[in-house]
Amino acid sequence: MNKKLALIILSIVLSLSTKMSFAQCDTVANVCYKNITAKYISDGQQYRALLLKGENAEFNATLFGGTQYRMAACSGMTDGQLVFSIYDKQHNLLFTNTEHKNAPYWDFKVKNTIDCTIEAKLLNGNLESGCAVLLIGFKQ
Amino acid sequence: MILNLKRTSYLLSAIVLGGMLALSSCKEKADEEEVEPLDSNKTNIVNINGTLFSIPSPIQTAMLLKQVGAPYNKALLNGPGKIAGYSTEAKRALNLGAYGADLGYIILYQQTQEAIGYLGAVKKLSEDVGISGAFDAKLLDRFKQNMANKDSLLVFTSEAFRSSDAYLKNNDRGKVSALIIAGGWVESLYFTSEMFNGKVADNTKLLERIGEQKTTLDNLIKLLTPYYQEEGLTEFVDALLDLASEFDKIEVNYVFVKPTTDEANKITTINSTTEVKVAPELMKTIQEKVKNIRGLIIN
Repeated sequence: MNKKLALIILSIVLSLSTKMSFAQCDTVANVCYKNITAKYISDGQQYRALLLKGENAEFNATLFGGTQYRMAACSGMTDGQLVFSIYDKQHNLLFTNTEHKNAPYWDFKVKNTIDCTIEAKLLNGNLESGCAVLLIGFKQ
Repeated sequence: MILNLKRTSYLLSAIVLGGMLALSSCKEKADEEEVEPLDSNKTNIVNINGTLFSIPSPIQTAMLLKQVGAPYNKALLNGPGKIAGYSTEAKRALNLGAYGADLGYIILYQQTQEAIGYLGAVKKLSEDVGISGAFDAKLLDRFKQNMANKDSLLVFTSEAFRSSDAYLKNNDRGKVSALIIAGGWVESLYFTSEMFNGKVADNTKLLERIGEQKTTLDNLIKLLTPYYQEEGLTEFVDALLDLASEFDKIEVNYVFVKPTTDEANKITTINSTTEVKVAPELMKTIQEKVKNIRGLIIN
């Protein structure tokens, strides 16, 4: 009986924990979305990953030539909590926000179509875990 | 041979993923008498081996069509009157994505008289798959009030799809999210391949854009692989695999060139070059296969 009760409590805790994690992602995404201003059209997707400190999330993307993109990368409720870097398919570094004061968003003018990988991780020292959110907007 | 290897590889992934799900289910049963600590890594995001896949928006393709001077072609669209025939969740989700792409195309060409009908189809299908919140009466009102402003309409539509995507991922419905994305992607690829060799001033750009979808197609297949064995999806994913084997014949030459950054304006220019070569015969095969895949969705 005690075990059953423990299981019920655990399932409620697990369910609440998952919901809270997603609620956290939603809150982060809403804050992050403010960086995709009306000048950019959302690509219609929301990329997120629950990360522990030191873990990387990897996003594979194709960026089309002749397009200007805005990428917004967030975690937590304040700017600069997420480190994000973009590599081409040969793993050449194209951009990292660590060189720009951990900027929460950056624009990219893409001359020719390129396949790339976007890596995101929590900023060292602050959060032990958190929801990493990446949003992509575009315009021509 | 390539197709077989590719199919085997994806099918193995599907079996492994299926096995993991089954084991997880068995483990849950076995653990009924044990209390396990909370696994803080457990997430329900669309995440294959730690990687997430971005599939480009269909609106980007419609923008290219307009840019190269392709005329508006209503015959390319899937008529909104067909929604009653879509009775399974998979069909509804795929067609929700396809109608979303149609809507983006209509808005870009400012065919406002058509837009409301397609928005209605999107709204109905979103209700059918349980994501009506993003396509509610409020959106319809905003739409009607901004009919003359295509930029606003594109922002509203994309935002509604992003909001739906977030809702689906929040509620462990990655399959529906993936199918909506797949439906939109196939519809926009269909537009491009049908307009190729049509009355378009710059056919080369269309050809390049089709070839540039090579990686996206692979990503899309990876996104759909966990659902391969589900009802109604095996034939669809097989058809995508078959198309991917044709895309593998496309020659892509990439040269890295150092990017340049304008710190003051927070903008980096990606200067690398990519050359895409698609043989004419291959293009014909791709056109035919895309048409058939689109048929699997809308018919």
